[in-house]
Amino acid sequence: MPPRIQSRSVSNTLLPYLTAPSSSSSSLSSLPSLSSTSSQCLSRQFSATAAPQGQTKLRRQMFEWLNNEGSVFKHHVPGEANYLTRLKQRGPETAEKSRPFPNNQSFFSEPILSEELRNEVYNRVVEQKKSVRIVSVELGIDMKRIAAVVRLVELEKRQRTQGKPLALPYARAIHEMVPTTPLAEKGERQTYHEPINDLPAHPLTGSQIFYPVPESRSFNRVEAGRVFSGAPAMEHSEAAEINHPSDLAEKIIEDPNSIGWVGKGANARQILQPADVRIPHPHMVALERDRLANPNERLAVADLQSKRLERQDAIEQARRERIQARREKKLTVVSPEESRFDYRIKDTIYTKETTGADGRGSKAAGRRYGVPHRDRTRGEVKIPTRVEA
Amino acid sequence: MRNRASNTLSKGKIRQSWSKYNLYNLQRFRSPPTANRTFFQQKWSAKAASRAYHGEQVRERQWKRMFNHRIRSVIPMNAADLAADDGSLVSSGRGSGLDKDGKSAYQTRPIPYSHMTFAPLERRLDVAIFRALFASSARQARQFVIHGAVTVNGQKMKHPSYLLNPGDLFQVDPDRVLYATGHTKTSFERREGRLARRKAKSQKSQEAEDAEAAEAESKETAKEDIKETPKEDTKETLKALLAQAKSVMSAGKDTLAPQRKQELRGFQQAVRRVLSRSESSTILADSLEAQFSQLTLLLKAKRSEKPVKKEVKPRPEDAFASDNGDTEAVSAKRDTEAAVSDKLSEAFAQATLGNDVDASELSDEEFDTLQRALTQMRDNPLDNSKTYSTPWQPRQYMSAFAFIPRYLEVNQNICAAVYLRHPVARPGSAEVPTPFGESIATPAYGWYLRRRW
Amino acid sequence: MVLRIRLARFGNKHNPFFNIVVAQARSARGAKPLEVIGTYNPIPKRPTNLYDENAEARPYKEISLDRSRAKYWLGVGAQPSDPVWKLMGMAGLVAPKPTTYDKA
Repeated sequence: MPPRIQSRSVSNTLLPYLTAPSSSSSSLSSLPSLSSTSSQCLSRQFSATAAPQGQTKLRRQMFEWLNNEGSVFKHHVPGEANYLTRLKQRGPETAEKSRPFPNNQSFFSEPILSEELRNEVYNRVVEQKKSVRIVSVELGIDMKRIAAVVRLVELEKRQRTQGKPLALPYARAIHEMVPTTPLAEKGERQTYHEPINDLPAHPLTGSQIFYPVPESRSFNRVEAGRVFSGAPAMEHSEAAEINHPSDLAEKIIEDPNSIGWVGKGANARQILQPADVRIPHPHMVALERDRLANPNERLAVADLQSKRLERQDAIEQARRERIQARREKKLTVVSPEESRFDYRIKDTIYTKETTGADGRGSKAAGRRYGVPHRDRTRGEVKIPTRVEA
Repeated sequence: MRNRASNTLSKGKIRQSWSKYNLYNLQRFRSPPTANRTFFQQKWSAKAASRAYHGEQVRERQWKRMFNHRIRSVIPMNAADLAADDGSLVSSGRGSGLDKDGKSAYQTRPIPYSHMTFAPLERRLDVAIFRALFASSARQARQFVIHGAVTVNGQKMKHPSYLLNPGDLFQVDPDRVLYATGHTKTSFERREGRLARRKAKSQKSQEAEDAEAAEAESKETAKEDIKETPKEDTKETLKALLAQAKSVMSAGKDTLAPQRKQELRGFQQAVRRVLSRSESSTILADSLEAQFSQLTLLLKAKRSEKPVKKEVKPRPEDAFASDNGDTEAVSAKRDTEAAVSDKLSEAFAQATLGNDVDASELSDEEFDTLQRALTQMRDNPLDNSKTYSTPWQPRQYMSAFAFIPRYLEVNQNICAAVYLRHPVARPGSAEVPTPFGESIATPAYGWYLRRRW
Repeated sequence: MVLRIRLARFGNKHNPFFNIVVAQARSARGAKPLEVIGTYNPIPKRPTNLYDENAEARPYKEISLDRSRAKYWLGVGAQPSDPVWKLMGMAGLVAPKPTTYDKA
């Protein structure tokens, strides 16, 4: 391999400090040496000696490309994406810029959360004690991502206090290379990081169904869901109660068991609900409806919305507490003085229901008798399938 | 397992790797021709190309078991649209939706389903580590897992084929990440590291003998030392420190490595010297963290004391040089002094007085430079004991591969990431990073649709 | 015949796992018992370092037990073996067995 001489570039370890928001221009101007040295190196060729005899044509071509066209990829320019697509691109197109693979038109390098935005999320959730749902709508970040950010920032804080090693220069470099969503300045609108109301396509909706409906009847999303899941059409009185599919959302949040079932036994499944119920933020539809109904009463609508959110939050909180209490009731922890260990004692139930008629039921406590182990069979997953957090 | 993951130029296969060979292959890759080729041939070559990239470390049989023809997709919903209409508009007329201009009511871009063929592989731990930019190739990520540098939900996970569940938090040892993503050491640096290790080894054995003798000695000499240091000295050291900071900050990448290292080392020594003169240096230690917090405190104190004045003194270049030379020359002597005066605390009051005088001569910008140089010294230190070139800088050609897919949330500071959900397709985009276009993705999907086993 | 509440070893080599069973005293360890009333995993698990409250938590061992069945079998005269006595003592079903030096 020919000797590697670093050609033109930017100083990537130092530039982060130099381009710091405070006094970036002044510090850059105070660097006369940067430009002079880099121009010096520009003129240097990749290799001073002639190509060795043993080098193949492909290899020669590769180094030729790396030294000419490809040299832009050697080092990154802070704050700019540096993907292969920039070679082909002529005009300044932003969408084009974030495509890492020239052949793949449908994969984009999506922005990541900037450090400030991440801290802001943590601040709002942990210090201001806002609910994840509200922060998600405010900042335009998916609820799962918000939960993850809180977890990660908490972990980071603890590692900092413990003095564990961090990868700070690496983090800075990544945030320079990858597009980021910045935190909005005071008074500005926060740009949404990602779409927050994603509706997962349900497998039942994959099929095409011929379902004749009288033209006199309006066929809405609730009924379409029932058709897809094979449930009988609603009674007229029942259908009349539902003004808009989003009414159903409110009902289901209050009582998740109100969703009906189709089929029997192992084939039983819940009736497919309309999009208004299945999206992560059903309350946003309700808000839009309020806005449509009362276009001139913004304050009243906002007030209504905050009350609705509070109510739904309280319901969810109560449900979570109930589940937690039930789990704790089943578990007692004993920590004997003389032992190095704690003992977690869980309640189980030994009845005909758990063991089954022949005593070999899979729900019974303990390892089973009279059932062969599948741990050596082919195709069985032998590594852990989950890790408890 | 045989390593087939080489980036040979003659084969021209694209791999999950940041190597420059791979970059070149990626750049020159053209979809295989379809003219005069049977469907089987087309599907075969599409499958071969895409499997060379996706899960090349996974056996074909294992992958075939993982493959699922059903592909996850989502539609971003607009709350206003949902509120405006209960769906009857779409189903009205003859079921195709009525609209004013004869266009369909909802227009969406097509969902690229076939790009999602290899989505199940993105669940693998090694692939996720590579996607989170913690390793420079999927093979390297796999090695990290096998070597025990990866935890999942706080527990060590040694199986690269562990399938992450939504909500799983995985973390890689930051040192490994810095090694994987940083510049490799030059032979010069490797030699220095070797020497340092040897020196530390011999010192360790000596220290045991010397410890007692040294302690007694230091107590005697220390007091004399402090009396000797005149006020002028502290003033000069701060000046020198600043000069060093400036040169450290201004040095571009093109400065040759040894020279730059010399500068950095000189700066570190100068910092240590200033510290040895400041007050409350009880924790004056080799730990950079302690040094940094001390110095920033010192700087802040000075800044608040000093009157606001904004004159920037243009310093001639030669003055820098002489300053540098000066400090270099005396640094060796001073260093021993500093080491000796380690354990003192009260007697530093004098030295601080001297420092205050200095402070008024520094401008705001100079403070800034100093502070940033200090931050750099703390965060990205020169340390030959590391496995990567220090101070750390990203490896070459990394930026062309740097993207983080949406199904991961990564915290780079602690090298941890959360697998939020399975990758999904949405109108116009697919979340599985694949370098291939439609002409390869679709035949490859078709290949696996039919059971051939 | 004496009824015993005892442990039956399952699991693999170096990876023990016990069923807490009610069985005839003279029956084989691996024989089918009258009832399986719980399990005991003697391999301690370490709490993860992901949460603050786990910072100085001790490693723990997992027991599962059907208390009502255990009480019933104790009531009809089943005798716990020593290890099971220890586990049941922790669950508060029997008084802890006096150790040898307590007796003396």
